[in-house]
Amino acid sequence: MSTEAPSAPSSPPAATGSLASFLDEILAEQQRLHTPVVRASAAHDHSKITDPESKIKNRESKIFSDLIPLTAPGPGEQYAFEVDLDACSGCKACVSACHSLNGLDDTEAWRDVGLVHGGTTAAPYQQTITTACHHCTDPGCLNGCPVVAYEKDPVTGIVRHLDDQCIGCSYCILKCPYDVPKFSERLGIVRKCDMCQQRLAVGEAPACAQACPTHAISIIKVSTTTPNADFLAAAPDPTYTRPTTRYLSNRERPANTTAADANTLYVQPAHAPLAVMLTLTQLAVGLLATAPLIPNTPPFLSLPLSLSVIRSLVTYYVTNYSAHLTQFTGLALLFAGLGASVLHLGQPTRAWRFFLGLRTSWLSREILVFSAFAPLALATLLWPDSALLHTVVALTGFIGVACSAMIYIDTHRRFWAPLFTSVRFLGTAAIAALLPIHPPAAIAALLLKLGVEIYQALGPGTSARIQRGPLRSLLVFRLLLAASSVAALLAHQTVAAFALFAAGEIAERVLFFKAVDAPKMPGHPVSP
Amino acid sequence: MNTSIDQLLHARQGDMTRELVQQPGDLGNLPARLTPTSTTHSICGFCSTGCSLEIHLDASGQAINLTPNKDYPVNLGMACPKGWEALTPLAAPDRVTSPLLRNPATGKLEPVDWATALRAFVDNFKGIQSRHGRAALSFLSTGQIVAEEMALLGALAKFGMGMLHVDSNTRQCMATAQVAYKQSFGFDAPPFTYADFEESDTLVFVGANPCIAHPIMWQRVKRNRHNPRIIVVDPRRTETAMQATLHLAPYPKSDITLLYGLARELIRRDKIDHAFVTEHTRDFAAFAAFVETFTPGRVTRETGITAEAQQQLADLVASGKRVSFWWTMGVNQSHQSTRTAQALINLALMTGNIGRPGTGANSITGQCNAMGSRLFGNASSLLGGYEFSNAAHRKHVASILGIDPAVIPNDKSIAYDQILDAVDHGEIRGLWIIATNTAHSWINQHSFHEVRKKLDFLVVQDMYATTETAQMADLVLPAAGWGEKEGIFINSERRLGVARKVSRAPGTALSDFAIFQLIAQAWGCGEMFARWSSPAAAFGIMRELSRGQPCDFTGIRDYNHIADSGGIQWPFTERDALLMKNVECRMKNDKTSEPSDHSSFSIHPSPLDASASQRRLFADGRFYTPDARAIFLFAEPVALPEPTDTDYPLLLLTGRASSAQWHTGTRTDKSAVLRKLASRAHGLEINPADAERLGITSGSKVTISSRRGEATAIAFVTSIVSPGQIYMGMHSPEVNRLTFPSFDPHSRQPGYKACAVKISPA
Repeated sequence: MSTEAPSAPSSPPAATGSLASFLDEILAEQQRLHTPVVRASAAHDHSKITDPESKIKNRESKIFSDLIPLTAPGPGEQYAFEVDLDACSGCKACVSACHSLNGLDDTEAWRDVGLVHGGTTAAPYQQTITTACHHCTDPGCLNGCPVVAYEKDPVTGIVRHLDDQCIGCSYCILKCPYDVPKFSERLGIVRKCDMCQQRLAVGEAPACAQACPTHAISIIKVSTTTPNADFLAAAPDPTYTRPTTRYLSNRERPANTTAADANTLYVQPAHAPLAVMLTLTQLAVGLLATAPLIPNTPPFLSLPLSLSVIRSLVTYYVTNYSAHLTQFTGLALLFAGLGASVLHLGQPTRAWRFFLGLRTSWLSREILVFSAFAPLALATLLWPDSALLHTVVALTGFIGVACSAMIYIDTHRRFWAPLFTSVRFLGTAAIAALLPIHPPAAIAALLLKLGVEIYQALGPGTSARIQRGPLRSLLVFRLLLAASSVAALLAHQTVAAFALFAAGEIAERVLFFKAVDAPKMPGHPVSP
Repeated sequence: MNTSIDQLLHARQGDMTRELVQQPGDLGNLPARLTPTSTTHSICGFCSTGCSLEIHLDASGQAINLTPNKDYPVNLGMACPKGWEALTPLAAPDRVTSPLLRNPATGKLEPVDWATALRAFVDNFKGIQSRHGRAALSFLSTGQIVAEEMALLGALAKFGMGMLHVDSNTRQCMATAQVAYKQSFGFDAPPFTYADFEESDTLVFVGANPCIAHPIMWQRVKRNRHNPRIIVVDPRRTETAMQATLHLAPYPKSDITLLYGLARELIRRDKIDHAFVTEHTRDFAAFAAFVETFTPGRVTRETGITAEAQQQLADLVASGKRVSFWWTMGVNQSHQSTRTAQALINLALMTGNIGRPGTGANSITGQCNAMGSRLFGNASSLLGGYEFSNAAHRKHVASILGIDPAVIPNDKSIAYDQILDAVDHGEIRGLWIIATNTAHSWINQHSFHEVRKKLDFLVVQDMYATTETAQMADLVLPAAGWGEKEGIFINSERRLGVARKVSRAPGTALSDFAIFQLIAQAWGCGEMFARWSSPAAAFGIMRELSRGQPCDFTGIRDYNHIADSGGIQWPFTERDALLMKNVECRMKNDKTSEPSDHSSFSIHPSPLDASASQRRLFADGRFYTPDARAIFLFAEPVALPEPTDTDYPLLLLTGRASSAQWHTGTRTDKSAVLRKLASRAHGLEINPADAERLGITSGSKVTISSRRGEATAIAFVTSIVSPGQIYMGMHSPEVNRLTFPSFDPHSRQPGYKACAVKISPA
């Protein structure tokens, strides 16, 4: 790099001996910290306050009790964040304070700051938006949780997450329109803002409120019955979960105000275990539903077995090859799919409490239905000729798939709207059902399903742009797999066609997750 | 039984719940697992606001967390995100833990011990000096280290090692304010105190975005109880402009013309404090004659500000009883910055808005110790604010340091840009860069990369070997950072504050002070610096250097005195200290109602209220010039050095883009939280009109090119920035590939904020 090579260290300096000892001394001194005992007593002396009144005042000013209500909420009321947008200057100290005062992980903060902008060149407008959990009146997270790991405090209205109850299914993340709960890889659970309820309990303001240099954040009491209709422009529709945060501003807001990241395409997590689980269970439901209808084929194998039951069963299965191949494939896919669903959980050992959420959670209901479906499907091995059992299995299976669909429909996301999700989920099951028994119908159904999928990839919507943009190759791959499956069916290669179809459906399901238009509060202009 | 069934079904307790349990205490609720054994106070080491942080310590005295100090007169219990995260960069995995020497065989930086590193330092630098003369060595330092280290470095380099030309990154941020004050007031003396933010009825911010750059100063503005009118002069609709009563967006770098036009209008309306002007200033008549040509028509033509808006501005300033003028880098970083700053100083002088609460021509400084560097950097002024060219000053300083006056150069150093030019011309062959990231931050970055090739030996002293500059070094010296050493910072309002040692440096990293001590020893001039035995001893020397200067702080006993007083603003003379003691005694006596000998204690009144925690200068109208008068300084505006044209039709503005990122991000990028919050910093703002014409949408990648280089960024289409202009954060590692190297002739500060570029979709 330099024109002359640096000369190598030559003879030691004259005072090497003294330099060496000086160096040792300096290195030791660098590692020496002041003894805390001296420090603590010194600090105590300095903060000596003799006047008891000023001591109380001092304590009060230190915890910013003027930023919280004097009394607890009454009936029909709850606590809420109030944000004075005109006071917020965008410094983001609230985020740092949340992180530090709550002792959160390196990347974790329960508050974030985004930006909205608009106006004209003559009158430009920008406004930072600080946002945490909105402690909704009708919390999506709480309603969706299969194990009731959320509680809404009956007095304060704080939506609290029970960290030791959480199974890490992440469904609350999908349910919350404000992107509030965040998954912790370290813990295998989600965590979220609890309005610093431990601080509120002792009359102290939440971390974000006490850290705001312009006191833009405070806690107020709000009515739980009055709708928060003009919640915030550029934020998701408040009628779904009824967020309680009040954003105040006297400034004129231009009509064209949008989130700074309104144009940003956020590719969502693939949730691979879920994509696999959904596809495989739906394929299984389809196969198991129509397997009994597959016509008998001649036996190609007979085994001399002494035990009559086993012999009769084996004889039964080998004499009905296609039907049984279909049935076994269905069962194998079912258990593989259910297995995959466990991989999705951060804390699977806590999942036994799934029944707690049955009242509100479609995820609980899905688990319940598939928990019934699995043994029923197995029972058909023992009672292969029971038409009643087969009917029950088929019905239960399709109810399970419907529950699966409801999980996503219930998130109120546009890409997962009822029609689209139903076509995708029930479509997978229906085509799997038709494929072994009526290939032309299967082709027709698949083309119909593809039509809906392509429709969802067209137009200016977020999900369509994600699919045509960052997910373009995945979309093409999915369509190619479907086309190959159709080709194989036309060539009467049923097994190959099914395999290609199944692969295509997994690709479709990955698209389903990655391309969803996840709602959120306004974010940064440039995604990190 | 019920509770155990309930716990079984609803696990409200458990290890994960316990992680977030809080412990109440004097500091309010804190995470129980981070409960401090004790605390200490330390001044933050990022910006010049000078916030005090309460550092939480464990039983071994190691810092584990922090909260803003609630009893400090600067920040009143608040901090910006950088302050909250101040400890995080210390624990970064890429801290450099031992000296690194470039192996000529492998071309790689390899760990060596300190003895080897010191030998390499001395042999290479002495070799350069023997071949090319003593002036062939230079250093580029920083406003980020404590003042004791700046003083020792400046003394060691110039008096011990014989360097002539040294400078620091304060040239990039504060040189203009320093020169402007020195020329106008006779000394580099920002006159204000932060209480002025609260006392003003009219605040004028020019080229300043305190909402983002100095959030804790903005806190003080928001505490103003006088319903103040806020005027913001900035080409962009910044966060601060959003909060303004009146926002004027003049064409970039035309603010000087707008300010001269305002001066003309105030003279026309006779809103002049004639008594003040007559008694305490010089050259007003010449200034009044000069601004006569800045008619509203001319101002509109040259700035784009309508006559009506000019009138509104004049109305607000003229009707204000306590008007304060504030500026930051928008003024300081320009090809005509010194005269622009002085245009603001002139306005304050002519309207008598100085020396009273809520007034002043006030430079908001950049770095935590830019003010320390201005007094003790030993670059353009001799230690303690003296003149190199003055023989009496040299003799005086030499006597305090106990050295031969002959070792003190009789001229000031050339500036940063001239040092790099000298490297380019082969006159400077050895460079020592301390705690700054020249390869990222220098204007027209590429020129530094070329210049570096001409250096025989480059030493970089930093906390991280991963900075762009350290990666180019022949020798890296591992430095302890803020929090791992002790010393003072001087903030924007001249307040001395103490930074404490609360964390152990990794490996064999050493404080910059210790490194300078070692180098003095290894160089063979250890004797000369024997009395600089510790930061505290160095502070004693600096205190002595300040005696009799406008910045006299001889009344300060020691670090604890500063810490216990909530920081101390200079001047604080021995007489002030005595007076303060007297006041304290009187207060005690008043309480006990006992007569005391002290009540008859007689002392000359200090120009400042020594006992107050907020003290401003020039209440007596006496400035530091020989005739005690402030001087009106002005010059004809100069056109943009690189105007736009058909090839490069857009003007690139640069500046701070986030409160969560500091300069080149070497420290702040180590915090995951700050990285997340600084995401806006790497974007490019472009007006919808320009974006549409160029086919650029929000979120799309664009290429920006200037005559000097190319950069890429993600576009953010927004009216915040005016048509014909684009804005990029200065934190982007690529932005200085584009910037045009223009320099103010008085301060040699680079004009980062306007250059011609073109952009296209990437």
